[in-house]
Amino acid sequence: MEMILAGLLDSLSPTSLLFVFGGVAIGVMIGAIPGINGPMAIALFIPITYYLTPLTAIGFLVGLNKGAFFGGAISAVLLRTPGTPEAAATAWDGYPLTQQGKGEKALRMALYSSVAGDVVSTGVLIAIAAPLATVALFMGPPEIFALISLALTVIAGIGTNSICRGLIAAGLGLLAGLIGTEPVTALPRLTFDVYQLGGGLSLIPVAIGLLAFSEILIQLERFSVKGGSGEHAANVFSSKLEDRLLSIKEFLASTRTLIRGSAIGIFVGAMPGLGAPVASFMSYDQALKRSKHKEEFGKGRLEGIAASESANSAVVGASLIPLFVLGIPGNLAVAMLMGAFMIHGMQPGPLMFKENAQLMYGIYGSLVIASLFLAVIGRFGLRLFCKAVEIPAMLLYPIVIFTCIMGAYLGRSEMFDVGVMLTFGVIGYFMRKFDFSYVAFLIGFILVPEWERALQQVVIISENNPTMFFERPVAMGLMVLTLFVIGKTFWNNIKAGRDCRQPKAKAPPQAEND
Amino acid sequence: MTRIQRETIANLLIVGFCILMLTWAIPTYTPPYPGYGASPALVANVAVGVMMAMAGLSLVRLLLARFAGKTLPPAEGQYPEEAQSTGFTQVGRINLYHLALFMIPCALLLVGIEYLSYVPAAFLFLMVLQYAIGNRNWVQMTVFSVIAVAVMYVIMRYGFGVPVPGPQFF
Repeated sequence: MEMILAGLLDSLSPTSLLFVFGGVAIGVMIGAIPGINGPMAIALFIPITYYLTPLTAIGFLVGLNKGAFFGGAISAVLLRTPGTPEAAATAWDGYPLTQQGKGEKALRMALYSSVAGDVVSTGVLIAIAAPLATVALFMGPPEIFALISLALTVIAGIGTNSICRGLIAAGLGLLAGLIGTEPVTALPRLTFDVYQLGGGLSLIPVAIGLLAFSEILIQLERFSVKGGSGEHAANVFSSKLEDRLLSIKEFLASTRTLIRGSAIGIFVGAMPGLGAPVASFMSYDQALKRSKHKEEFGKGRLEGIAASESANSAVVGASLIPLFVLGIPGNLAVAMLMGAFMIHGMQPGPLMFKENAQLMYGIYGSLVIASLFLAVIGRFGLRLFCKAVEIPAMLLYPIVIFTCIMGAYLGRSEMFDVGVMLTFGVIGYFMRKFDFSYVAFLIGFILVPEWERALQQVVIISENNPTMFFERPVAMGLMVLTLFVIGKTFWNNIKAGRDCRQPKAKAPPQAEND
Repeated sequence: MTRIQRETIANLLIVGFCILMLTWAIPTYTPPYPGYGASPALVANVAVGVMMAMAGLSLVRLLLARFAGKTLPPAEGQYPEEAQSTGFTQVGRINLYHLALFMIPCALLLVGIEYLSYVPAAFLFLMVLQYAIGNRNWVQMTVFSVIAVAVMYVIMRYGFGVPVPGPQFF
């Protein structure tokens, strides 16, 4: 109890509050800019957190992530250009409302739905993470090894259409993560006699290169090929009060959708590998199927926005469950948060509740405060954040590139890291172009030290006897599940490829909402 | 170049990379087995093995598709395969000219910052970058570059207490 109170008091310190507030505000601003998303923002801002205390750093990054999730809805509603895949469903009903001059109402619905989903999800995280972590503490090296193997195979499917390419990317990530000093012999491994690689590749330049720099290279390419988007938010703010404000009645009319969306978001978020876009589309689909006004969906129905936003925001808190309970990142944003924990000398997982209990409760406090700040900042700063979508690309891109370069340098104050960032920027560019999942790469890169440590422990404890897995039913079950996931994904890929190559009998009817 | 040809080349390059890793890089740059625990090369070999197996599998599928006269959807074009993109990837053609246009100034910044110091090198870099993007308003370019360099300098130097890269002339 003392730990809980101490942790919560830490989260209420002025510095912590200031950084959580700043994180949410910057997150909303960045999320509103098309093309810049939460994980990218975290990658860009992780170097700054080097200079903060662990609680302030994690609070800032969590605020940033929460803010960016809502910020993504701003460009989706105003421009029909979702900066992130999870905001795509928000655009379906948000943009028609903007065209009707009800953009502010749509954004308010998005805000309150986001906050609702986020609060429920944070509550669930607080309620179940610590008890589940107590159970997870009984896991030994074989279970951890098997669990990470399962996580890597599940995550290999994220962000690509092919499990083969996903596994290749994960393998490359593992290989990159092995560069540095080998833990058992303490001798350099795969450093190619480059002394700067002796300490391994730092997460910061690798993440900035893969997430931010490569994305900007692609966006610049599109910008130069297609020219400026020329999109302008029109008719956003009507002068009529009923078009601008969201009444309590209008909000409460979507209560069921909000509850359903939050539940879907929590379920999907807690499952490693699914992510916010799945939750968002699933929730929208359910809202559409269960609505009495199906014909109004896609034409500016507030319920559609509530479904999408409550689900994708509920993913934020829930996706921390596998991280806190098992030490496994379920999606990219959480992988970046895991990297931030590691930078501050902590290994996320069940032991954190034992070794850093005060910090964990402090993080819980920061999560709740970030939700409250999101409501306040969103409510009073909505018009200001809408201006972010109008930042000209000619100014935005150079500043993001410059921030990438200086951010990579800031981590260890070495220009070598800038070179690493540029190299991984180019690697990321090619990975995106050839549909190799950089998500799988990054998660492999982050998880490999723990995976190898668990493997070393298994080999040493079992004295080179692989049958040890057969004596551990949980580890055995997880390994079987890993093989099942690989087999199932391959089968689905083969089936999908066969379906794709089937000649179509006739063109499909035009979708109504297109 | 069709998508099958492009993917075949990509997978062949991966197989080549894996062979290089398995025959030269891993044996040369991995510590010897210390006599207990797992070999330091084990995880590296497993990772490269998985990559090679997957690339090989992809090659077999591509070859079968090619011999059967099938094409991978959708049709080629400037950005034709965005329909296949997942939101994380942006499948499409490689534009090497465009890549060089932005990577060369970045590489020059790495060198320039060592000789010219941070302020002039970063200023020139931002000017070149804006020009490459298509900005031709010299006043806006100059003002923006000066402000960006100055703000970053203040943040680094006084915010985090980190010396800016390169010689400390300023």
